Amino acid sequence: MKRRLVVLALAAPLLLGACGTDVSKDSAAPAAETTQTQNVKNVSEITAGATFNDTDVMFLQMLVDNQEQGLEMVEIAAERAQRQEVVDLASAVQATQKDELTMMKNWLTEWGKPTTVDERVSLHADHGGLPSTGDKEIESLRTIKKGKFETAFLNLFLAHQHNAVEVAGLELDKGSNELAKQFAERVKQSRTDQVQQMLKLLAG
Amino acid sequence: MRRKIAYPLATLGMVASTVVVASPALAHGYVSSPPSRQALCAAGTVANCGAIQFEPQSVEAPKGSTQCNGGNANFAVLNDESRNWPATNVGSSVTFNWVLTARHRTATWEYFVGATKVATFNDNNAIPNASVSHKVDLSAFSGRKTVRAVWNIGDTAAAFYSCVDLNIGGGGSSTPTTAPTTAAPTKAPTTAPTTAPTTAAPTATATTAPTSTSAPATGSEWAPGVAYKIDDVVTYQGVTYKCRQAHKSIRSWEPSIFTLALWLPL
Repeated sequence: MKRRLVVLALAAPLLLGACGTDVSKDSAAPAAETTQTQNVKNVSEITAGATFNDTDVMFLQMLVDNQEQGLEMVEIAAERAQRQEVVDLASAVQATQKDELTMMKNWLTEWGKPTTVDERVSLHADHGGLPSTGDKEIESLRTIKKGKFETAFLNLFLAHQHNAVEVAGLELDKGSNELAKQFAERVKQSRTDQVQQMLKLLAG
Repeated sequence: MRRKIAYPLATLGMVASTVVVASPALAHGYVSSPPSRQALCAAGTVANCGAIQFEPQSVEAPKGSTQCNGGNANFAVLNDESRNWPATNVGSSVTFNWVLTARHRTATWEYFVGATKVATFNDNNAIPNASVSHKVDLSAFSGRKTVRAVWNIGDTAAAFYSCVDLNIGGGGSSTPTTAPTTAAPTKAPTTAPTTAPTTAAPTATATTAPTSTSAPATGSEWAPGVAYKIDDVVTYQGVTYKCRQAHKSIRSWEPSIFTLALWLPL
């Protein structure tokens, strides 16, 4: 165990020296970490392992921010939505994303990285795009008339979950940590299917 | 132990230059309701749409196109009238809702029926919210019409296109999405070309699972697309689980270490 970690530390300059290109995967570490997840009893016990790159960090930091906003939105929806299907979706998202948030923050802390972003950024910042969801818009969900609430919430949360899929795509493309990439795949799948449910709820 | 290792990595991370992000997809916005063609694809209501199913917000093309795909060859399916796109029943005034995944400075929002421009909303290069609504008067039209909605970006040459198929004067309210009790313009699932006349529950059209959404028999195998209630029992990979939070199942919400909030191992 000790030896493997030392080797990783020594390899780090080489890995980071290849900035911009695919960071080669450490074959031993991720396999061991993946096995470990089979035995844990709580999501907070899942550790990510010591190999990571800038994209892994940015993915988690952006998604932490995304999910903190998202949790605010679904909490409001669980209270204000009228249809049981909308309440159930919001409550299930709330339950699963709370655990995900704990896990992501643990990973960032393990890596010695901040769990917050200094400034909210957008994947589209390079061509003038701002991040999808504004705090003001989220606040407006608390005061909008009940009859208009579901449409407002579903549209806003659609944009929000679309953004999570986009961030996950970045990690799948350029991330290096195996568990973070597996998690990104889960985010991509679950949010894509949530989008599907929300579009149906919006239409019906 | 872990911290020792993290230190040199963190140090080197700071030396590395600012991360430059290449966007995985230049995805930005679409009309979600009444559902545009790409929204119908993303919802699984219309099947076999290709890539647009996963990125309904990506119909970006140069300004000025008169096509549903904006001339973007990747999404030619959106121009395919043989798909018999389900039309939403609406009244003479329709509220169009946009979902934006990147809030670009906006020149205008335009709405067309064929070659006729029916509405323009000038944003004067302001930054929009993540969801945008416009009320458009369509009283000059009746019957089945395709409305082409265009979001003209303020600081690039690009626009985003969404075609929305409507049955104007078809008895629906102007905001069909907010009234669960009225005759809902529920779309027929997947292949049926016409609008379903009944008020089928919206949860009844699962595309990911062919099975019904009725309560599963105790201990049946977990499946996506099922409405699970608290205390429902499923098996997954040989382990039995009890549902802790009512939800309609989706991919990645199967019982696992990541979804203990939904499923308790028994």
